[in-house]
Amino acid sequence: MRTSKLAQTTAALVLVACACAIIAFGFSYRGPLDRPNPYLSRATTDTGATNLVAGIYLDYRLYDSLFELLVFSVAVLGVRFYLGTTRQSPNTKAIPESQAVRASADLLFSPILLIGVYLILFGHLSPGGGFSGGAVAGTGLLLCAVALGAETVARRFHSTQLELFEWGALFVVLLLVLIPLIFGLSPFTDLLPRGAPGELLSGGTLLIYNVLIGIKVFVGTWVVISTFIRHRGEI
Amino acid sequence: MSIALLPLFHFLFGVASLIWKKGGKRLFYLALVIDSAIIASLAQHLLHQTSISIVLGGWGRDIGIELVADRVTLAFSILAVLLGFAVVTYLWRDHLRGYFHLLLHLLFGSVFAMLVAHDLFNIYVVMELLTLVSSLLIGYRRKPQQIWASLNYLMLAALGMGVYLFGVAIIYYHTGTINMTLLADRLVGAQGQGWLIAAAILLVAGIAIKAGIFVFSLWLPAAHATAHSAVSALLSGLVIKMGIVALLRLSLVIDMQLPLLVLGAVTGLLGALYAAYTYDLKRMLAFHTMSQVGYMLIGIGVGSELAIIGSVAYAVGHGLFKGLLFLTSGEVVRTTGSKLIPEQISLREHIPRATRVALTIGTLAIMGAPPLAGFCAKCLIAEESAALLLQVLLGVISLGTVVSFAKLLPFFVYHRAPVGPRPITISFSILGMAIVGFLPLSFSFVPRSQWMAELNPYQAAEGMAIIAIGIITYRLIRKHPPALSQHIFRLEEAILVILAALIGLFALHVAF
Amino acid sequence: MEMINGVTVAVVLFGIGLLGLIIRRDLVIKLLALGLVDSSVTLALVSLDARQDALTPIWQGAGLAYVDPLPHALVLAAIVINFALLALALVFVMLLVERYHTTDSHRIAHEIGRETEE
Repeated sequence: MRTSKLAQTTAALVLVACACAIIAFGFSYRGPLDRPNPYLSRATTDTGATNLVAGIYLDYRLYDSLFELLVFSVAVLGVRFYLGTTRQSPNTKAIPESQAVRASADLLFSPILLIGVYLILFGHLSPGGGFSGGAVAGTGLLLCAVALGAETVARRFHSTQLELFEWGALFVVLLLVLIPLIFGLSPFTDLLPRGAPGELLSGGTLLIYNVLIGIKVFVGTWVVISTFIRHRGEI
Repeated sequence: MSIALLPLFHFLFGVASLIWKKGGKRLFYLALVIDSAIIASLAQHLLHQTSISIVLGGWGRDIGIELVADRVTLAFSILAVLLGFAVVTYLWRDHLRGYFHLLLHLLFGSVFAMLVAHDLFNIYVVMELLTLVSSLLIGYRRKPQQIWASLNYLMLAALGMGVYLFGVAIIYYHTGTINMTLLADRLVGAQGQGWLIAAAILLVAGIAIKAGIFVFSLWLPAAHATAHSAVSALLSGLVIKMGIVALLRLSLVIDMQLPLLVLGAVTGLLGALYAAYTYDLKRMLAFHTMSQVGYMLIGIGVGSELAIIGSVAYAVGHGLFKGLLFLTSGEVVRTTGSKLIPEQISLREHIPRATRVALTIGTLAIMGAPPLAGFCAKCLIAEESAALLLQVLLGVISLGTVVSFAKLLPFFVYHRAPVGPRPITISFSILGMAIVGFLPLSFSFVPRSQWMAELNPYQAAEGMAIIAIGIITYRLIRKHPPALSQHIFRLEEAILVILAALIGLFALHVAF
Repeated sequence: MEMINGVTVAVVLFGIGLLGLIIRRDLVIKLLALGLVDSSVTLALVSLDARQDALTPIWQGAGLAYVDPLPHALVLAAIVINFALLALALVFVMLLVERYHTTDSHRIAHEIGRETEE
């Protein structure tokens, strides 16, 4: 039942258009909402964080963020597991880039790493947080690898220490979530005082979670990137 | 607080088994024992109330994540623990890395998390974790076929979850909540409205890709056939059921009777058709899983309380015997060296005794022979389907099951059979006993009075009759295979079929 | 509600991504299309409550109008998860390409079909 290319393309166009129409139809105008948003009035007083979104995903819906973290960790592990056995690319000393790129990378990687740390630490006060900060820091490290050479950076971040940091952070996060549950303490963030909103040391355990997640995502992103650099593969 | 511990413990143990590499098996057994303890306490709580509901963190329902444990949770938790013990014992002699144990722990943890989930986005996140872990387990041996099957699965699942999220977005846009208890209230006046139908179809389509429904899960035969047998056992026996659980929870909040019935019928019939003419053992089992999923969907689609209990019971039973069959198929393939049934039959004296017995029990159970697992649950669903069309449909699907498995009959004839490795025998006996003893086992989640009211000799006779007719039908039709398209299993055609099904379901629902 | 807003753009992008996933044969392009699909869902979620007159959900005082913060939190999770899945899919693609020396999905499927039959 081999269909011709034209038939397949037309079928695809028609079906996709219909599917999009169904989705768009679902968003038909609903009128103004009569219910006030339940988060807006209480989020800052409950969590102590000015960033309402951080309050949600690190306090009210911490459970979801746990799964998200697990998905990320397992994906990183999977990447290393699968690519770890393929042939290593012969030229890993320097990532082949032009001189201009290497020079600008040299200039830029330290501010970017700093920005990543800032995003992690201030995640509860302004947009950012562990995930984005960790990703920024990880890509900052990639720039560092472009500037200084992948081998140098990889040697500094020796693999077993990295693994310890990565999974240690995850283990601590799991413990932090599990232990209050075992002892029947309710809100997650009661382990630390809340502080005044707007200060750096506010938000209770939010800050700790942000830092742990930031470490995990930073190391994870670097592992993924460095594995891709090392096992570049060829067609 | 205790129900949240089920998934979290498994995650903790998973990470621990990555750090303590030698202790993988021991950690897993310990985790299963802890699970059993928690499940036992859960069962005790559920004697007095229908469900336990907590919101993590103690917040209100509208801002926190709610977890609900009810009889459905209990039923599938028992299945999970049984399958867990069986699979770990089966893998006793294989030297597996800490990575594999981590994946197993995450699989079980996410299964438990799905069983208590009561929030649309929580379901999304848990499903994504299940997808990821399943796809890594499928491709574990890194053979090209496995990687290709994994990649297909990953892409289809990602697409499915994207569609699902659109459904969630639509629902949140119109109701302002993603918690299912609150949704049940807010949707009371809105059933049957256009946007709700669209959202429902999107949600169902998204989950259906993972749940093994024929039109949507065209990745399934390739994945189950190429994966390691223990992985296939877990996927078919446990992970697919999580899609069913998700659909069950959704169907209690949004009215989706028609799509579920239609999907169930199509899946049941087409799955049985393909299974009847497939001679690769594991691929046939995979097709057959899809057919059985159709059965369960019809039960959920009918919607009455007894029908849903029947579906759940059937799902648990199916998990047990399909798990057993996949494990035995692994042994069969290993000892005979072939993947095709005719060759395996001719080489059957190599197959160990325990494997043969297990195969017999599994096949009989799947055919619905009383008083094993399949029969009991089929009764419940059949009783509740009042419409004649449904009764006929269910009968035909059961017939299809028997026809597909009739080709395994020659395995039952015993000559000399060697003795197999001890751990595998133990693993099979765990599941075998559960199947044979299914009736008393199910008393934990199905009230005894309801069982006794439904089972009667009339049903038993009907069951045996179907088996007999099925075997005869098999002899008649086996020489005439229809031209079944194998092309729909490629990615592009699969997506096209999914889209067509989505649009068709929407049109159907709007028309009625 | 204007006709052209985040949601409509998201649906159009979803359609384009889906088309790309079906029509194009190259595996890497398929992954890009999948990424587009994921991004479109993100856009749809975020623009559910996007208004001109409301502030981003960083607390600046009571009595002000803020955008709904819940979809933002959901989107954070969705972005990370999609990134993880794409990375893994890319690894699978790399392994397959290395083995079969082509990025054409039809050729790879054909080769694998041939190998399974042997």
